[in-house]
Amino acid sequence: MWPIVKITYREMISKRIFAITILMSIAFLILFGVATWYASREMGEMTGGSDMLLQQGFFSTQLLGMGLYFGSFITALLAILSSVGSIASEVESHQIDTWLARALPRHKYLLGKFGGLASMLIIYSTLMFAGLLGINQWVGGGVLAVDVSVGQIFSSLFYFVLMPVILVCVSLLLSSMTTTVTGGIILIILYGISFIGGFIEQLGTIIGNSSLMNIGIISSLLFPTDSLFRQSTIALFDTADDPISFASQGIFGTASAPSTAMFIYTLFYGVAALLLAVRVFQKRDV
Amino acid sequence: MSDFVIETWELSKQYGGKAGCKNITLQVPRGSVFGFLGQNGAGKSTFVRTMLGLLHPTNGKAVMLGHPIGSVESRKKVGYLPELFRYPDWLTGTQLLEHHAELCGLSRSERKTVIRDVVELVGMAGRENERIRGFSKGMQQRIGLACALLSDPELIFLDEPTSALDPIGRKEVRELIARLRDQGKTIFLNSHLLSEMESVCDHVGIIHRGELVVHGEWRKLSAVLPQIELTLEQVSDKLQASVPSYVTDMRLLRQNEGQATWLFTLDEEGRVPALLAELIAAGAAVHEVIKKQQSLEEVFLYWVQQKEGEAHVADRKNHV
Repeated sequence: MWPIVKITYREMISKRIFAITILMSIAFLILFGVATWYASREMGEMTGGSDMLLQQGFFSTQLLGMGLYFGSFITALLAILSSVGSIASEVESHQIDTWLARALPRHKYLLGKFGGLASMLIIYSTLMFAGLLGINQWVGGGVLAVDVSVGQIFSSLFYFVLMPVILVCVSLLLSSMTTTVTGGIILIILYGISFIGGFIEQLGTIIGNSSLMNIGIISSLLFPTDSLFRQSTIALFDTADDPISFASQGIFGTASAPSTAMFIYTLFYGVAALLLAVRVFQKRDV
Repeated sequence: MSDFVIETWELSKQYGGKAGCKNITLQVPRGSVFGFLGQNGAGKSTFVRTMLGLLHPTNGKAVMLGHPIGSVESRKKVGYLPELFRYPDWLTGTQLLEHHAELCGLSRSERKTVIRDVVELVGMAGRENERIRGFSKGMQQRIGLACALLSDPELIFLDEPTSALDPIGRKEVRELIARLRDQGKTIFLNSHLLSEMESVCDHVGIIHRGELVVHGEWRKLSAVLPQIELTLEQVSDKLQASVPSYVTDMRLLRQNEGQATWLFTLDEEGRVPALLAELIAAGAAVHEVIKKQQSLEEVFLYWVQQKEGEAHVADRKNHV
């Protein structure tokens, strides 16, 4: 299995999409840093009482929430684009033939791919999370830095990195079942449903509309990645089921917190997708 | 240890009841070079890919190196060069071989030596550290061959191994196959290039429209069409008009200074003395008798035509 993990690393690094994503991520972090620096300078020059302090708090969480949301979006795209063809495109090009003709069980091949992709994306998303939080803490200075404990950071990071891992599980399932293009389209649509559903659920909670909330819940059941982002922000900003959180974090914050059952469902979803991927891949002709 | 490295019983791989290969029952003797012959699309690659577990059989069973196909054990001592050889083009030749060597379970120190040896063997020395992206088709086929030989396999599947090679490359591959056979390895060679197969194979199997027509030692198979070339003088019209019944075909090949060279096809090889006796009795002067060796192409065409004939008769019976 280890040789497959290694070759997956090599493949991912050699792909242009990876280099482009790294460059664009650096550009995004620079932009985020510049915006944070200007915002903190502006805020620092403002004078006022408790209103001003509240404003600073709202602004800092909104800015960081926005950054984290975009960061998770880039991570998701990287996860989809790098993994959806990992089996399918190799089957289509027959590159897989010589690997599978070796004394290598198919489940080890697939799990090797998973290990390579997931660990690479965990490293990437950790760096992205650390970059965004670091900018908030050091560039934002005493004015815009969100007050977070080490425990909150690790808890938030856990949910943040889990999202691309779940995506890889589902992506491998689709890649084992169908072509690269079909799998990519399905996964992007599922991801879209998840994040639109997430917004709808938050809005539904704010205005107290149960239909909107149910739409959000159904979309989360269909594809639960958005709930992981919401749990990540809850852990970081220490807000749960708090109507004020919408005011303080905006649309990227979390007014409706996912339950523990939802988290267990998400884990089950990922594991089931991976096991199903193994099963489908073992049975298919290549 | 079994005498056969491959044994199949009614092995089929069909796609919705069509194409692929059907009811293949064959044995490949250990240490032989087995040529699997067939037209394009006859089912040769499907059979090989089924043996390697890349395709799941729809019927029948098969054993490779003593283990059922599809099992990891069956592929432990197997090398494979696919017909559609495609390798990750972002790797160098050496990197590709390293990954494969690691999958074969070779230690770091073994890997270095083995890779150097196989690279040398396939004529890629000096080019192995270049990216596959920059390799010509022929070089890719050579590095694929190196991959197939990495694990010191007992059984090597070569699917159209010379399709991208120039005449010198083809000769080198033929020599390599002969060397591997001398080392006791079994080569399963898929090809439709009959002239190439002829010089290296000792056993053949002929597949036509997915079905195995015949298999065995190819020199024995060639005996199905006993032919002799006779150079005669004074062949009377009477003799030509009343050829013995065991002569199934008689063709004039050439004429030169009163002598004519004829090709006689007999219903069995043992008829040669009787034919000669009859010719001499009829007053013909026999100058030369050459027992004709069938080319693999002739053997192949003979068996395919036989099969076509059988299929035609079966078809007509069905209509009636």
